[in-house]
Amino acid sequence: MENRLLHIFRNNPFGRETLLQSIYFCNKVGASPVIYIPKTTKFLMYFDNDVVQVDLDKSYLTSPETAIKNATELVEQAGMNARFFDPKHFTASTLPDIHTNFDYMCCPRSISDMSSKIGLGYIGPRVRRIVKAARFPVLITSPAFKPWKSITVFFGGSVNAVKALRLGFHVARSSGMSIDVFTQTGKYSEEDCMNMIKERNLEKEKDLYINEWHFFENNNFEDNLYEVPHDALVILGAYGHGVIKDILFGSKLEKIQSTISNNLLVAGPNYTTIL
Amino acid sequence: MAAIVGNFSGLASVVLNRSLVMMSEWLHHLRHYWWVFLLPAAGAALSSLFLEKVVNEGAGHGVPEVIYSVSRYGGLLRFRSSFSRLISSCLTIGSGGSAGPEAPVVISGAAIGSNIAKYFSLNDRQRVTLVGCGAAGAISSIFNAPIAGMVFAVEVIVGEWKSVNIVPIAIASVAGTEISRLLQGNQITFSHHLFNIDLLNIFACLGLAVLSATASILLTRMLRSMHTVSHKVSAPIWIRAAMGGCAVGIIGLFLPVVLGEGYHTVKILIEGEYGQVLAVVALASFAKIAATALTLGWGGSGGIFAPCLVIGSLIGVTYHHLLALFWPSASWVNEGYYALLGMAGLISGMLQAPLTGIFLIIEITGGWEVILPLIMVSAFTTTLCHYFEPASYYLKDLVEHGHLLRPGTDARVLSDLNVPELIEKDCIIVNQNMLLRDFVTIIKKSHRNYFPVEDEKTGKFLGIIHLDDIRQYLFDPVMYDAVFLGQIMNTKVEVAHPDDDLLDVVRKMDMKGLYSMPVVVNNRFIGLISKATILDQYRKELMVQTSH
Repeated sequence: MENRLLHIFRNNPFGRETLLQSIYFCNKVGASPVIYIPKTTKFLMYFDNDVVQVDLDKSYLTSPETAIKNATELVEQAGMNARFFDPKHFTASTLPDIHTNFDYMCCPRSISDMSSKIGLGYIGPRVRRIVKAARFPVLITSPAFKPWKSITVFFGGSVNAVKALRLGFHVARSSGMSIDVFTQTGKYSEEDCMNMIKERNLEKEKDLYINEWHFFENNNFEDNLYEVPHDALVILGAYGHGVIKDILFGSKLEKIQSTISNNLLVAGPNYTTIL
Repeated sequence: MAAIVGNFSGLASVVLNRSLVMMSEWLHHLRHYWWVFLLPAAGAALSSLFLEKVVNEGAGHGVPEVIYSVSRYGGLLRFRSSFSRLISSCLTIGSGGSAGPEAPVVISGAAIGSNIAKYFSLNDRQRVTLVGCGAAGAISSIFNAPIAGMVFAVEVIVGEWKSVNIVPIAIASVAGTEISRLLQGNQITFSHHLFNIDLLNIFACLGLAVLSATASILLTRMLRSMHTVSHKVSAPIWIRAAMGGCAVGIIGLFLPVVLGEGYHTVKILIEGEYGQVLAVVALASFAKIAATALTLGWGGSGGIFAPCLVIGSLIGVTYHHLLALFWPSASWVNEGYYALLGMAGLISGMLQAPLTGIFLIIEITGGWEVILPLIMVSAFTTTLCHYFEPASYYLKDLVEHGHLLRPGTDARVLSDLNVPELIEKDCIIVNQNMLLRDFVTIIKKSHRNYFPVEDEKTGKFLGIIHLDDIRQYLFDPVMYDAVFLGQIMNTKVEVAHPDDDLLDVVRKMDMKGLYSMPVVVNNRFIGLISKATILDQYRKELMVQTSH
């Protein structure tokens, strides 16, 4: 069955960039965008073990009379059928429930900031909650439409990193692009990484899809990020820690997203691999 | 874990209770000012602003939200719900709005239970039980009534009388009550009186049941109509809440009995010390109904439990006055007896939960000797209300939108299944240019009756061939080389989409008399969904839901 990406449409120039990004992603991985045009600034997403309330800013409600037309135009220009999500269930009669049986979801870095404030600032708490709870990976887009021509996977050796690598293989297979893997040595050596690949029977996929595996000896992670191609889709796994834990102990995800402006595809702890 | 949830929810109840007392004392010295009618307006506006702007939560008292979440999402509730309604209802009720603190503590307790379950990654069934524990602990604590808390949680929230629910909920009730007793003392909410009840007074309660049912239906309908009317006013929600609160404040200038949660009024009525004539008591009953509808329908925050107790006791006293007026020589029991029965009647009528009504009144008054008339009033009021309003106030919206999915029911089982997991993909796809002869060869090897037809070039879904529809061609060999499948396929076929609700798909199948339907996405055939597979999965799901 076809894969579907949930996109929350914002009917303004920034929203257009984000939708273009989603459409491009869908084209590459063979998925269909399912667009939700919000009628209220709040909605709920019920996951297996969490309910996330997404509070949008009012820019998501801009010109509702042209929203469907504008979104349809963009999707059809890409040779796809525009499908819209119409919530059928409501919590407390007013809050739409958005179901979570999607294969991907697209979020700007912060789902609820005014477009004037959007930069590489930080990943908003709602996006974090979605990443943490979702079974699907979350596409965190760059501020402006930026086609990607290769795939980069960050592999740190954790369970989530293995999930990210599997997701990378899936995207590589669908898009026909090759993968560059980046590993910061320290906790795991090159040999450890190769053993992990072997233990998980991923050698065949490694030979098929991985172009180059970069191992960084330099301890400064941010410096190494310069090596990431600017036009690559960056895939990484996330533990899904909360903001407080990240502030106290630091977060690789936060470092990466605040340093590079690439599109990110984040596999959370509950992501179930497709491959 | 049930004890932990019971303790926390009990604590939430105590906090709200103490906050209301403090706020009431704090505002008491303002009661003699002419502008005092603005207090409920300010409280309702602040409450609404807090819910809408600070915690970003939909207004309302929240019990339907708990039942909805239990029905559809295994009891998942937002963390913010564990405190938001406590604060908002404190503002509404403390300032004089006509509402009760019970529903807010129910949603707080339920949200505490849900979030503890989430923290420990419990499964849906365990989470629902902890949600029930939270509700039970909260009601038990606020009324110092463990049995009522337990019965309310099972009868209204969980809707499933099974030991797997009852045991932890009972533990939570005890924990909630103990916390309350520890912090506030072991007191019965309302004073206990002995009544000398004879047969005449037992049978007289039937008339009270009719009056209670009428008041319940009136309150239910007024709450809904006020809600509808308020939404037609094009003003921000906090302005609407202020308008409702202002109206309540004005009523309160003439009849202070309508203000606040009204426990003090109930005490006076039970003790038979209200001392007003029939017309005033009847007017106060109606005014309290109107004030509650104005408070909650226009955007204030709170519940209907306490207003039901006040209205019920006023209705009871009204009825006693009527009896004394028409049959002055008969020996009627003290009006406090009818106040108790009226409270049970209103609770049973509004919630359509007779057991909750009976046990709550017995526990909060300690009046076990009135159990027979209590049962009669509760049973008759519930029956009458159910006739005119088939769903209770809490469930009305959920029933209307098809969101009430009690465990083990048809709708619940179907809601837990979805189209993608039922799709049969082992179908043989044919194209429109295939000759009937070639198709017959395919049929010989196939065990299916349905064959989807796709466009040879584009792969688009064109229609379906059902063997029953083409039987006359199959038994006529002359046709084998003369007929193409494109000529005999059914192109006006009903299709399903993976996103469709299974309940809608089954309804469509029933209406059209279909046994199978193709599932189509973007003009592409994905698979078939059939009644046989649905029944198979339905049985499995039913077994999961009804087993422990």
